[in-house]
Amino acid sequence: MPKASAVSVMIVDDQQSMRGICKYILTQLGFTNIVEAKSGRDALGKLEKSNVDLIISDWNMDDIDGLTLLRVIRKHPKTQAMPFIMATGRSDKEQVKEAISSGVNNYIIKPFDASTMKKRIEAVIGVLS
Amino acid sequence: MVLSSSLPPEFDRGVVTTVHQGDCLVSSEADLTFSTVLGSCISACVRDRTAHVGGMNHFLLAEQSASAADRYGASARYGAFAMEQLINQVLTRGSGKKANLEIKVFGGGKINGALDDIGAKNIEFVREFLLNEGYEMAKEDLGGTYARRVMFKPHSGRAFVKRLDNAANASIAREELAVAARRHKLITKSVLDDIELF
Repeated sequence: MPKASAVSVMIVDDQQSMRGICKYILTQLGFTNIVEAKSGRDALGKLEKSNVDLIISDWNMDDIDGLTLLRVIRKHPKTQAMPFIMATGRSDKEQVKEAISSGVNNYIIKPFDASTMKKRIEAVIGVLS
Repeated sequence: MVLSSSLPPEFDRGVVTTVHQGDCLVSSEADLTFSTVLGSCISACVRDRTAHVGGMNHFLLAEQSASAADRYGASARYGAFAMEQLINQVLTRGSGKKANLEIKVFGGGKINGALDDIGAKNIEFVREFLLNEGYEMAKEDLGGTYARRVMFKPHSGRAFVKRLDNAANASIAREELAVAARRHKLITKSVLDDIELF
């Protein structure tokens, strides 16, 4: 049973407001080790240097989008098994199927709240203690 | 932006599509006009200058509890999503470059003296959102004590604002809050009913 404070989470979103919202919710859930990446490229750079246990990534981003980031991560031996949750808008449900075939572990629809986020995280890494 | 009582000819032809509270519509059609009526609500009109693609949203952060002051409260999350959704849809259908976006913002009137100034809170939210994300407002018509009709041509980026008679304020305020309350219930329900794929 993982403890939230022992899990390192990376938030990937090119919008500062959405990173702030996500971080606020994760903090409410007890996560303290949170890494922010402002783009897909930034995420790949930070993954080289940080020990991350879970990625929560936006889909639409300027340089490398969420799906491309997922595919790169799944190809790299160091990160291929990394839990990955995709954040998406409701109208993107068809694209979610594409993410599933690329190996996403779960998805969360915006706008989300703390209880939905907790459910999604627990479905991927196990019930939080 | 045209601020007048008479409708310029370009807004008086072609197809007019109404943008209701909660909507986010995007188009590149030259003969299309998006139209909405705003009391305390906010509409952002976002356009990709190079791709001639534009869109309009319409939202109200109606929460009056202590969490409304909280920048990451449920109400602010809904507003941030409404803005993100519009910007992403214009980027996806346009050039994909944020530098090409032109943003105009309207609404946030104080149209019901009996209530807190919801319009001011909505204005504060949208200003802070755009500042945080590094966008500039190309044009704005915000605040005041009146409702407005806003018309926007997504292809050309032209906007027309008509300030409405104060007699309509009370009914617009009631309707906006009722729609916001219904939407809040719907959002809560849809999150709970969300499809479990995993």
